[in-house]
Amino acid sequence: MYLDLWGLVGGLVHWLMVDIVGTILDWLHLYALADWLGSPGVLQIVTILVVALIILIVGMLVSITLIWQERKMLGRFMDRVGTQVGPFGLFQNFADAFKVLVKEYIVPNAADRLIYPLAPILIIGVSMAMFVTIPYSQGFYMSDSDLSVILTLAMFGVIPFAVLLGGWASNNKYTLIGGMRAAAQTCAYEVPLLLSVASVVVLTGSLSLNDVVAYQQENVWMVVPLIIGFLVFIISMISEIERVPFDLPEAEAELVEGWGTEYGGMRFGLIMMSEYARAFVGSSLVALLFLGGWAGPTFGIIPEGLWFLLKMFLVFTIFIWARAALPRVRTDQILHICWKRLLPLAAINLFIAVFFKTMGWF
Amino acid sequence: MADKQQSRKEKELGLTGFIVKPMYITMKQFIKAIVNRPQTILYPWEKMALPDAFRARPGLVFDKCIGCGICMRVCPTKCIDLVEVDDLKKAEGEEVKKVKRPRVNVGRCMMCGYCAEYCPTDAMIVTHDYELATYNREDAIFDPYRLQYESRPGLEVHINEVLPSELGKEGVAPRRRTEHKDLPVLEDKKCISCSRCAKDCPVDAVKMVEVGVNEKGRPIKRPVFDAEKCVSCETCVEVCPKDALTMEEVL
Repeated sequence: MYLDLWGLVGGLVHWLMVDIVGTILDWLHLYALADWLGSPGVLQIVTILVVALIILIVGMLVSITLIWQERKMLGRFMDRVGTQVGPFGLFQNFADAFKVLVKEYIVPNAADRLIYPLAPILIIGVSMAMFVTIPYSQGFYMSDSDLSVILTLAMFGVIPFAVLLGGWASNNKYTLIGGMRAAAQTCAYEVPLLLSVASVVVLTGSLSLNDVVAYQQENVWMVVPLIIGFLVFIISMISEIERVPFDLPEAEAELVEGWGTEYGGMRFGLIMMSEYARAFVGSSLVALLFLGGWAGPTFGIIPEGLWFLLKMFLVFTIFIWARAALPRVRTDQILHICWKRLLPLAAINLFIAVFFKTMGWF
Repeated sequence: MADKQQSRKEKELGLTGFIVKPMYITMKQFIKAIVNRPQTILYPWEKMALPDAFRARPGLVFDKCIGCGICMRVCPTKCIDLVEVDDLKKAEGEEVKKVKRPRVNVGRCMMCGYCAEYCPTDAMIVTHDYELATYNREDAIFDPYRLQYESRPGLEVHINEVLPSELGKEGVAPRRRTEHKDLPVLEDKKCISCSRCAKDCPVDAVKMVEVGVNEKGRPIKRPVFDAEKCVSCETCVEVCPKDALTMEEVL
């Protein structure tokens, strides 16, 4: 069972524009305007806008829920209670959002006037744009591109560029070091990340996330044959979204807040938000590529999107667990882990995938 | 380049020590916090169960107090002083007497409970009243009436003792320290027979006894101390104008 988002919104927009607004305009004898509003092109544009808005709102809500989950679970990991505002502390993030909303917007004197305001827009925009490619279920998605895996990872690749720009434009030693580290780390970890994705693509034979999930529904979850790739992907993804133990770009003990030190007010809030948006996209990629996406027993009642969200939250739980348990790695260790450990493992994993494919087992 | 010597333990620390073990410990803690509840006590809504031996601000049982001032003298932060107040009204028509009662500056009190430990009549007690924040310093000073607190057995604090030779013997419980008592001792030469010690004694343990007559024919009086009644409060030592009295340990 799944919700057909495009069909629902398309029908809704058609009903609103043709049946209600069109009738009113006809009654006012504005036939040309009614015809224009009812033309397929206008209807399609409005439908796309509404679907995009729904996807953005759902993505933001899920990201905010991830922040809540992290604060609550991290509290339990440390024998604390966690957030307290509202039922189960659910309103704390909204309170924080309102707080940063009313803060003053300060630009440092030495900052680059052009790039300093531009970098967070790039970071936040790219992070939010990644919601587009994530399908929640067979019907609940924004775009069903044939290359959605590549598209998502390509948008991940834009982040280090924007982070480096923001760190440089702030004109502060901490932000610059943080930006450099972020760029070096994310660029390095994209290699094992893409190699482990390549193994999935080799087995499933498609670059579309919907097709990858459909293949896993028919055959077997990719985590079974590609367990090494799964581990490599998770570790690389933690590094890619700059979380503990790979949070070198914003190592609080060394660099004040890393590359985001000079950003305040709502920009700070949105940068924080975008980190969790990327965490959402990262953990959904793990769920989609390796854990079967929305595959699961539905019994005809349970929505497929629920299974997907459940798997995504479980993957994020692993991220939180790693954050609670592991110390931050050193600058030299992080590239050591990437080039000397993860890259060979990813290559071995790719060989295994190719072996399985040539033997015709999958 | 010489190979770095590594012990077996150090090598093992790599994966198990840095990844597996912390992950295991944190998951154990996580499950513990889920099954039970976190350690945090949400203070204004929840309060800790106080132990019986909890010592917060001192309290006063007004009628038991004899105004001896031991609490004032023993206080380490000097936050107690004696004030003269009206006694509580007992019956209609009875004249209200002036009595001396302790007044405590709780802002300075360090909640040690010495005043309750040393109180000879158990009038001073420790209470469980620990929320003492006030808006100004005057409110932190508790006058004798405000200091009153209903006594119950757990709140009285005694100095108990047991002899080393009695340890491990059957039927020997710690008991109140009563045998060793300091008593005032008179230096006869300095006494001028003024009887102020007898007047100020809170328990009437001092009696002036005539021991002879001086050259002008006036009686010479010397204080005699009743060891049973005396509570070793040192009031007589303090009021003596000629410093003729000192406290000495009486075995």
